[in-house]
Amino acid sequence: MNLELIIFIVLALTGAISAVGMITRPNPVISALFLIFNFFALAGLYLLLNAQFISIVQIIVYAGAIMVLFLFVIMLLRTGEEPKLFSEKKHIKYFAIVIAVLVFVQLGYLIFYEAPSEYISQRVQQSMEAGTIENIGQQLYTTYMIPFEAAGFLLLAATIGALVLAKKNFE
Amino acid sequence: MDASLLTENLSYILPEIVISAALIIIVLFDLIFHNDKRIIPYLAVAGLAVAGFFIIDQFSFEGSAFATSSSANNFGMITVDNFGSFFKLFVVCVSILIVFFSFSSEEIQKTFDRLGEYYALIFGMILGMIILVSASDLILIYLALELLSLSSYVLAGFTKLRDRNSEASLKYLIFGGVSSGLMLFGISIIYGMTGTTNLYLINPLLQAPNLNLITVSFAMILIFTGIGYKISSAPFHFWTPDVYEGAPIVITAFLSVASKAAGFALLIRLIKTTFVTFTSPDGYWQLINAFDWQALLIIISIFTMTLGNFTALWQNNLKRMLAYSSIAHAGYLLLGLVVMSDQGLTAILIYFVFYALMNLGAFYIIMLIANKTGSEEIDDYTGLGSAAPFLGVSLAIFLVSLTGLPPTAGFIGKLYIFIALVDAKMIAVAIIALLNTVVSLYYYVRVLKHMYLQKSDSPKDAILPSTGQILFILILLVPTLLFGVYFTPIVTFAKNSISLLGF
Amino acid sequence: MNSIPIEYYLILSAFMFTVGVTGVLIRRNAIVIFMCVELMLNSANLTMVAFSSYLGQSAGQIFVFFVMTVAAAEAAVGLAIIIAIFRNKLTVNIDEINIFKW
Repeated sequence: MNLELIIFIVLALTGAISAVGMITRPNPVISALFLIFNFFALAGLYLLLNAQFISIVQIIVYAGAIMVLFLFVIMLLRTGEEPKLFSEKKHIKYFAIVIAVLVFVQLGYLIFYEAPSEYISQRVQQSMEAGTIENIGQQLYTTYMIPFEAAGFLLLAATIGALVLAKKNFE
Repeated sequence: MDASLLTENLSYILPEIVISAALIIIVLFDLIFHNDKRIIPYLAVAGLAVAGFFIIDQFSFEGSAFATSSSANNFGMITVDNFGSFFKLFVVCVSILIVFFSFSSEEIQKTFDRLGEYYALIFGMILGMIILVSASDLILIYLALELLSLSSYVLAGFTKLRDRNSEASLKYLIFGGVSSGLMLFGISIIYGMTGTTNLYLINPLLQAPNLNLITVSFAMILIFTGIGYKISSAPFHFWTPDVYEGAPIVITAFLSVASKAAGFALLIRLIKTTFVTFTSPDGYWQLINAFDWQALLIIISIFTMTLGNFTALWQNNLKRMLAYSSIAHAGYLLLGLVVMSDQGLTAILIYFVFYALMNLGAFYIIMLIANKTGSEEIDDYTGLGSAAPFLGVSLAIFLVSLTGLPPTAGFIGKLYIFIALVDAKMIAVAIIALLNTVVSLYYYVRVLKHMYLQKSDSPKDAILPSTGQILFILILLVPTLLFGVYFTPIVTFAKNSISLLGF
Repeated sequence: MNSIPIEYYLILSAFMFTVGVTGVLIRRNAIVIFMCVELMLNSANLTMVAFSSYLGQSAGQIFVFFVMTVAAAEAAVGLAIIIAIFRNKLTVNIDEINIFKW
């Protein structure tokens, strides 16, 4: 067992356990903290995949900005704890979990049946080059110029929308 | 990308550029001239008119802009073709009508100090839609879809005059977020299988013999979730009645016509560019054997229209009833796609033109009545036939047209879809659709019965629309009746608009 | 360097995806539901980065960059809507917000 695999297993377990922790904890603050854990684990995995830029952005944008926003709102609203997970509407929730397990089994079956590793092998050199900030920046401003502009308008619309919603009600 | 190529590529997306510029101008105008908010709607109309001009200018022109790789015969992010231009023109025309619609809306006029934000968000929606109908790259499709969704989440709760507005927003948001998450996962699977996000490049890769069809089906069902949510087809329709009821009526009308059209355009483009190998001379599409779209769409469309029509039967709120009716109409429109032929596509385009006229008309009159009575409940329509004769008759015509009865445009729209079905030898499906139409007659006529045949306990105040309002109704009403008898121009126009780039 | 097969990443991503979907179905707090949506987006991101890295091209990573943009915008709008609801109702539990049937 080499180092890379060990790192992968540690990060993957962190990601998986924190994901489960997030949906099972009744307190939203703890859920949010678990989600931040998950995002950090993902950032580590992205580094393992040679996606340096995405890894940094994952920490700055997701863990740094989005989750802080979530925590702010949770603490601002003080919604308190939800009732225990299976205290009400038990049957629907059990049903949901059964469905989810089935979907997961299906996905797992597909992944191993498909066995993408047989025809995709990691191209280390290429993937190292693909993930650098230089390359991504280059691509963003040339090939992906239109999506980039669209993303700009998306952010503009979101800003206006958030402002509209945040203003007080009319008299 | 050198300068001359960039200029050429930019000329392909002039309508999009004009709409974006108009959006920025509206935002800036609102910031700089606080006191001249009355001008903003006219700015909006001007922007839309210019965009409309460039779209008409682009007609019968085909091309692909912003190629993702530098190799020859490649396809880019944005495709310009007649099909896209048709839907762009459709969206722009509907948006112009919506701007005039907003003039009469008391809900919007009460929020006068936010007119700038309102039109900025409307333009956000328009920009999202016109990018969506011409995008041929999954990245751009996802972004345009989100631009459209985010603007409409806010608009659904825009006025906040009543509790139910913000609630409509929340519901829209949660369903939208989940379905776009599902769609994104589907896209990621497709990207993994093919290694590209361009629809045109995915097509040949899906024809590979060693492809695992179950995975493709799984991914496509996930992607359909995102689209099905936009067109409010059956298993993803849960948000529709509540959002339609809770949102301001203008936004409800906009969502039910334009946003649905954009979703359909996306679905058709997705199927035709990624799954069709060639079109046979008689107009039927040869699908790649990777995923059985036809079976999925037949089930979904029958389910959608049956559910929409039967649930509409016991709705007492007119907006909610029209929401279920719009679900049912999504079902009819899907039938046009089920046949997978040029004939069916023509029928869809024809249907959309007529659907826009009659649906906008019905919503407009409901809004005028709600401005006066403050209610959309069907019981409050009792005796309106005599209190507001012009509105009553117009509403009756729009509802008859929505049912699809002869002297109106709605009949022609349904007729073309049924003919396409029968020509494709799908008699059973056509009969189910016909029975559905009969069911829908009941709930549309129920409104008329309330308006004309039931005596109200207290005498109603007369509702007198202003000249401008009468004019607006006539703009929608005259074509609804005219196209019912003389529909050749629309049919010709639709037949000229079915060509997609490369097919 | 080639020691980890891509299936491992995909399984992890599939697991996070199903956990996210389950969370949406079983949780009642609108904010937590929203976080579950973020988890779903992240699982799709992981799939895309994994494929992008194994295929040696950058399209997937650029897609992830845009998804993050969308997620940030969606979080801003979504949380603003949730705050607006909270002002009216003093709750964010979707079972208690029920003028409409859910």
